[in-house]
Amino acid sequence: MCEMKLTLTSVVPADRARVFAALIDADVLRRCIPGCETFTAKGPDTYEAALKIGVAGLKGTYSGKAAIRDKQPPDSLTLGFEGKGGPGFVRGSAAITLSADGDSTRIVCDADVQVGGLIAAVGSRLVEAAARKLADDFFRQLSSELSTQQQ
Amino acid sequence: MADTIGTPYVGRAMKRVEDPRLIKGLATYVDDIRLPGLLHAVILRSPHAHARIGRVDVSAARAIPGVVAVLTGADVNAACGLVPCAAAIPDLKAPKHTVLAGDRVYFVGHAVAVAVATDPYIARDAIDAIDVDYDPLPAVTNPEEAVKSGTPLTHPDLGSNIAYTHVVAGGSDIDEAFRRADRVVKHRLCHQRLTPMPIEPRGVVASYDPGEGTLTLWTATQIPHLLRTLLPGMIGVPENKLRVVAPEVGGGFGAKLNVYPEEALCAHLAMRLNAPVKWIESRRENAASTIHGRDQIGEYEVAVKKDGAILGIRTRTVADLGSYLQLLTPAIPTLTGLVLTGCYRIPAVKMEIVGVYTNKMATDAYRGAGRPEATYLIERLMDVVARELGIDRVDLRLKHFPAPAEFPFATSCGLTYDSGNYQGALTKARQLANWDQLLKDRAAARAAGRLSGIGISTYVEICAMGPSKAMPAGGWEWGCVRMEISAKVTVITGVSPHGQGQETTFAQFVADRLGVLMEDIVVLHGDTNVAHYGRDTYGSRGTAVGGSAIVMCIDKIVAKAKTLAAHLFETTADHVVFEKGTFRAPGVTNREIGWPELAGEAYVAKNLPAGLEPGLEASSFYEPQNFTFPFGTHIVAVEVDRDTGHVAITKYVAVDDCGPQINPLIVEGQVQGGIAHSIGQVLFEQTIYDENGQLLTGELMDYALPRAADIPEYILGSTVTPSPVNPLGIKGVGEAGTIGATPAIANAVLDALQPLGVTHLDLPMTPERVWQAIKTRTAAPVGA
Repeated sequence: MCEMKLTLTSVVPADRARVFAALIDADVLRRCIPGCETFTAKGPDTYEAALKIGVAGLKGTYSGKAAIRDKQPPDSLTLGFEGKGGPGFVRGSAAITLSADGDSTRIVCDADVQVGGLIAAVGSRLVEAAARKLADDFFRQLSSELSTQQQ
Repeated sequence: MADTIGTPYVGRAMKRVEDPRLIKGLATYVDDIRLPGLLHAVILRSPHAHARIGRVDVSAARAIPGVVAVLTGADVNAACGLVPCAAAIPDLKAPKHTVLAGDRVYFVGHAVAVAVATDPYIARDAIDAIDVDYDPLPAVTNPEEAVKSGTPLTHPDLGSNIAYTHVVAGGSDIDEAFRRADRVVKHRLCHQRLTPMPIEPRGVVASYDPGEGTLTLWTATQIPHLLRTLLPGMIGVPENKLRVVAPEVGGGFGAKLNVYPEEALCAHLAMRLNAPVKWIESRRENAASTIHGRDQIGEYEVAVKKDGAILGIRTRTVADLGSYLQLLTPAIPTLTGLVLTGCYRIPAVKMEIVGVYTNKMATDAYRGAGRPEATYLIERLMDVVARELGIDRVDLRLKHFPAPAEFPFATSCGLTYDSGNYQGALTKARQLANWDQLLKDRAAARAAGRLSGIGISTYVEICAMGPSKAMPAGGWEWGCVRMEISAKVTVITGVSPHGQGQETTFAQFVADRLGVLMEDIVVLHGDTNVAHYGRDTYGSRGTAVGGSAIVMCIDKIVAKAKTLAAHLFETTADHVVFEKGTFRAPGVTNREIGWPELAGEAYVAKNLPAGLEPGLEASSFYEPQNFTFPFGTHIVAVEVDRDTGHVAITKYVAVDDCGPQINPLIVEGQVQGGIAHSIGQVLFEQTIYDENGQLLTGELMDYALPRAADIPEYILGSTVTPSPVNPLGIKGVGEAGTIGATPAIANAVLDALQPLGVTHLDLPMTPERVWQAIKTRTAAPVGA
C-alpha cells in the first residue's frame, strides 16, 4: 500500500498549552524532527524544511513544505505536508489532538500519508514501520525538549 | 573420447561451447566494456504515474564537480526523434514517445532528465540534486474502467484511452454457432502483468568517432540488426555508419526485443559530448522502465453441443498496453487471437481486442508473447467446458484434435499448422506420467482428506517467425559460411543468440554437413559489422530460420567445392561424390581430396577452373514460407496444503514436439527454463501498480521469482514430427515450455480444489489466495 492511514499516540510530560506551543515553534520542530537540517518559517503557519532520512533502507534528502491549519489551542491542529527527494515523494496530512493525561499530555496523531516513486516501489512494505519509528523519535525528542525546558 | 569426422554431432546431448566462458566469468557483457574517457549516465525517473512537469532546476546538479552535463527533454528531444513502434494495427492511436519526458510524465519510471559525469556515483548523486516540480494528475490504472467515457485520460491529447479495437475472426459464422449451441459456457480469465526480470538488466555504451562519423553502440539487446535499421531515423547517423553490437546478453525473454529511449539517448550524448557514454540500468529501473508482459482480461464464451462438440468461441479482451507503445506493444494481444483455438478443430472464432492506455510501463513481448495467453485461455476453457458438461477433459481434447493426416491443417483463426501429431504427444505424456496410477493416487489422497489434483494442457504454438509478409520488418534470416584457407570454418549468423546456444547447435549441424570437427568451427553473431544483415532472435526463430540460412550457405559451398574438386580430378562435377569431408570421383580416380587441400586451392587460386571465383564463402537470405507450429502435452500433479494454501508440484511431465532435435540437452534446458517461468506466473509473480499508479513490485524483494527450491524434478519426453517448412525440419523450442506449462499447473491446482467447489482462481495462485479459497469453502457451518 502506498496510501496509508496511521494513528500514532504518545504521552509527553508537559501540559497541553506548552505542548501546543512547542508543536508550532519552528525552532523546537527543527530540533525534534529526525534528520531535520533546516526548518524555516515562510509565512504565518507555513514552513519549509529539508530532511535527511532513511526510509525503508532508502537514504535521501527530502525538501518540503508544511502548513498548520485549523489551530484550536490547546486542543488540536492539522498539519499538511509534502516533501520530495531522490527516493520519491511523501505527502499527506495529520490531525493532531491533545488531551490532558494527569500532568502530562496525550498526543493522538491521525495521519493520511501517500508515498510515491522508489519508496513505493521498493519499500512499501516497510514505509509504515519507518513512519512509526520516525514519529517515535520525534516524540522522544519532544519529551526531552519539554523536560529540559521545565528544569 | 575424441570426436572423429563422420560421427554425427546432430542429435547428441552436448554441453554448450558457450558455457566455459560464462561459468568462468570470462564473458563480456555491456558493463564490462571500458573505453578511454568513458562518461557515465544516470537517469532521473518520475515518481509520479501522471503529472505535469513544472519548473526543472538542474543548476545544483550541474555545479557538482565531475558532472559533465545535465539534460532534460527540452535539451535532447528535438535531436533524438521518436521511439518507434513497428506494429501495424489499423486505426491505431499512438502518443508521441519522446526519449525524455516533455511537459508531462506518464508512468512511474518515466525518464525525465539525465546526468552525465566522470564517475557513475557522481552522476547518481547529481540526479538527486535535480529539482523538479510536478503537478500530479489523476492516474489511469484500471484498463476496464479506462475504456468508459468520462474517465480520466492517460494521454489527454488522444481524446480516449482506447489505442485500438481489433477483431480477429474466422471460420464459419460466429453468431450462427451460438444460435446452434445447446449451451453457452462463460468464463472470465485474466493474465496478470509480469516483469520479465532478466538477470542482467539493460545497458548501453555509445562511442562516436567524429573523424569517421561512425557511431558504435554496444547494447544488451536481442535485436542489434533491427536497432541498426531503426536508430538512424532517431539519431541522424546513417545505417552504414552505425555499428550495433550485442555482446554477451544475460537473458532477454522479450524484454530486450525493443528499441528503448536510452539507446538513442546514449548515442546522442556520445555525439553531443564527444566522449563515450555508458548507461547501466539498475534492478529498480529495470522493474519500472523495461517492458512488462501479458496483462489481458477477457470474458470468454464457448458455444457447445450436449455431446461436447465446440462450435465457436467469442470474446472481448481488454489488453493493458501501459502508457506508450514500445516496438511491438499493440501487436502482442493480436497474436493471442491468432492461436486462440489452440490445437483444436473449432469452426468459428471471434476475438475483439481492445488495447488500452494506462499510466504504467508499456507491455510488449514477453516469453511466448500472445501464445501463453491464448494457451492459458483455451486450456482453461477446455477444462471448464468438460466440467460443466460432465465430460472427461482428455476425451474432450481428443475429440477436437485434427488427425495427423489432416496436416497441413487450416485453422479458423487463419493459420495453417504445418505438421502435427497431437494424439502422439498426449499418449506419450500419459505413459510417462503413468496416468492411470496418477488417477488412483489422487483418489486415494482425496479419500484421506488431502487436496490432490492433476492438470493437463495440450498446446500448439507459433514459432520460426516468420514469413516476411506476416512480419513488420521482414522475417527472413541471413547467414554466411566461410571455409577459411586453413580449413577452419567461420559461420556468421544474423540471429543474435543470448542463451539459446546456437554457437553450439549451428556448429553441430555445420560440422556434420561439411564433414569437419566441431572444434574447427566458430559461430559469430551479434555485431552488425560482422553479421551485416539479420533479423535477430525472438519468436523461437534462431535455429529454424537462422539455421536454414546456414544450410543454404553450406549447400552453395559444397556445390562450389565439387566444381573445384572435379577440376582437380579432371572430370565433371556430376562425377564427384562428397562424404564426411572428403571429395572423391569413383570410377574416375582413386585420389581423395579433403578440405585442407581444397581450401588451399580455392584461396591460392593458381589452378581454378575457368569462371570459378576464388575463395570458399557463401552467404544467403532464407525466407520461410510459413511459421512452424510446435506442440505437446504437459501433465502436472499437485498437492495443496489445506492449512497454508501452499501448492507443491509432485509430478511434472512435459512432452514437447519441436521437430528433430539438434541437441537434446539444449532442448531440455529451454523447456526447463520455460516451465520455471510458468511456475512463477501461476504461483508467485505479479507486477502490481496501486490505484495511484505507484509500482509496488520494484525489486526482487517484492516481485517473487521462483527459486531453485520451487522447481520440481521434471520428467521430459519428446515426439518428433518434422516441419515441412524448412530444410532442417525444425519447429523451435524457445518458448514452448512456458506456453504449455501455465495452464497445466493452473488446471492442476483447480483440480485439487474441485472437491471444495472452487471453480476459479486468478493468477497467481499464491498461498494466500489459495488459502482464502479453501477457507471460504470450508468455513460454512456444518449441519446448521
